[in-house]
Amino acid sequence: MKLKRQRILFSLIVLVWAVVMLYFYVSGRIDKYLAPGFRDFTLYGGLGLAVMGLFVGLTAGDEASCGHDHSEGDPHDHEASEMHPVTSMAFMLLPLLFAVCNTKDGFSVEALSRKALFDAPLDSKTFITGDLPPLTLEEIQRTHRKNEQGFYEFNLMELFFAVGDPELQKIIDGMSVETEGRLVMERENNESGKRRRLYRLFITCCAADARAVPIILDFGDQEIPQLEENAWVKVSGKLTFPIERGTTQVILQTATCEAKDAPWEENFMRNQ
Amino acid sequence: MSGESQQDFAYAFLSILFEGAPFILLGTLISGFIDIYMPPGMMDRFLPKNKTLAVIVAGLMGAIFPVCECAVVPVIRRLVRKGLPVSCALTYMLAAPIVNPITALSTWKAFSGPMVMWQGETVSAQWLMTSGRLGLGLVVAILLGLVVARMPMVWILRKRLVDEINGVSTASKKKASKKQHVHTAECSHQGCGHDHSHEHDSSAGSSRLVAAFRSAIKDFVDVGVYFSIGVVITALFNTGIAPGAAWLDGLASRDVIAPAALMVLAFILSLCSTSDAFIAATLDKFTYGAKLAFLVFGPMLDLKLIFLYQTVMRRKFIFWMALGLFVSIGAAAVAFQWVINQSSNLP
Repeated sequence: MKLKRQRILFSLIVLVWAVVMLYFYVSGRIDKYLAPGFRDFTLYGGLGLAVMGLFVGLTAGDEASCGHDHSEGDPHDHEASEMHPVTSMAFMLLPLLFAVCNTKDGFSVEALSRKALFDAPLDSKTFITGDLPPLTLEEIQRTHRKNEQGFYEFNLMELFFAVGDPELQKIIDGMSVETEGRLVMERENNESGKRRRLYRLFITCCAADARAVPIILDFGDQEIPQLEENAWVKVSGKLTFPIERGTTQVILQTATCEAKDAPWEENFMRNQ
Repeated sequence: MSGESQQDFAYAFLSILFEGAPFILLGTLISGFIDIYMPPGMMDRFLPKNKTLAVIVAGLMGAIFPVCECAVVPVIRRLVRKGLPVSCALTYMLAAPIVNPITALSTWKAFSGPMVMWQGETVSAQWLMTSGRLGLGLVVAILLGLVVARMPMVWILRKRLVDEINGVSTASKKKASKKQHVHTAECSHQGCGHDHSHEHDSSAGSSRLVAAFRSAIKDFVDVGVYFSIGVVITALFNTGIAPGAAWLDGLASRDVIAPAALMVLAFILSLCSTSDAFIAATLDKFTYGAKLAFLVFGPMLDLKLIFLYQTVMRRKFIFWMALGLFVSIGAAAVAFQWVINQSSNLP
């Protein structure tokens, strides 16, 4: 292939990457893919690729010199590509365009089941060791807002990791709490069909490394609202820590459950 | 693939691509500008003449030029073409993603909190893991560099790259032997058969800038092809990886098997070295030794890097390098955990 055509083809490939990256950034969809610290890199990367693609495309026919020796016996070539440019284009654009056409900005429940959605809670304090309030009921009440119905507002991460802190468990066991997350059917120990799982994702860098942070909702005698799988809900109820399947579980004996809009930041992020 | 699987693949694929593409762009821009603006052999002048010292200095260069593992491959490919000894280039390639301030900071932050017994003293896990990671990464990279320094280049690099380097070398010698150079107006860039660098120097600025961008975009596409293939495979594994999670947990407390298991996991996950510490910190069932193996092996070798490395190195060499890294890092991680275990048992 002639060099001029190769340059134009390469600039087109790069421009497609740039457009995709900039579109996801400008549309705000990038928030569902990357942790905040990485989002601006998508903007810079998209802009950089756009500049490079346009520059090379617009100067494709210009004479240019590398400014150093290309004399006989020196075969080095600044533009000889590893493979045919059309093959490169296929490898770089087909998966990208396939992904852009098929993504729904989230994982299916099946994929989430591979990301710990239905696992037993972690016996760990890794994420919140430094953030935990002092372990007195007064401190917990002071640091958590109480809603009009008398439920303390907790974020789901706190409830999830309470499993790893027996002292905290002891204090908040039986407490009336409110939290929010996405609702899916509970798979195990749910013969009555009255249990659901409430989760949010924790993303350290990108969605591929996401991990589900779930608790169990038990509706008991309550009516379960008819909602789509993965709907965002606000729930309130009494917090319990029974031992099931050989481990301590976080179960909210749910009193209320209502649909709500997704929060501005759907996933828990590193350093959030 | 079912509709849901396509959706999952697409989501994972895009997230990894968005995370990695800016760093590849950075690497290829640096690479493109090195290609055009850095004279052949210039790197040599910065390195000590002594081979061992040169390899050590190359290992430490990551602290000055922080580059992640995606970005480092195009950079070293260009540096090798520019005359940087292969041993120094490989040492830099392996060390730079680990021995750099961004990686150190992320490791430090990820392990803040827990305390560990070490030699009878209680020390912060962030100290232990950050120093352990940077130290082991540097030592392994330097050792590999010293081994490579005793190997012929044709065993290591792709034939095309070797041909190009030999070509540059031959041309440099010819250039050096030319005491007089009569220059005529007919000289032009294409195939004049002699040195005309001064001609282009006078045309300066924009012409070289165009050449630099052309070189950069070519590198971006070359690396981007392998990166895309790597991300496709990683996304496929990523969305289906957890069926082995229970099996992995079963290995977590075994001193020898656990580091091996986490190195395999690091290989499959292909995480960026600037952020993998946050994943390692969540693998709470695993020993610190296993986490160290994860943090050192991952930036040196993973699924996407295998594809990127093939733009520079022969497959046979990559295989032996991978085996060497796996064994040496695994052994060091086991020893690291042994010391922790001994410290915990001290009265």
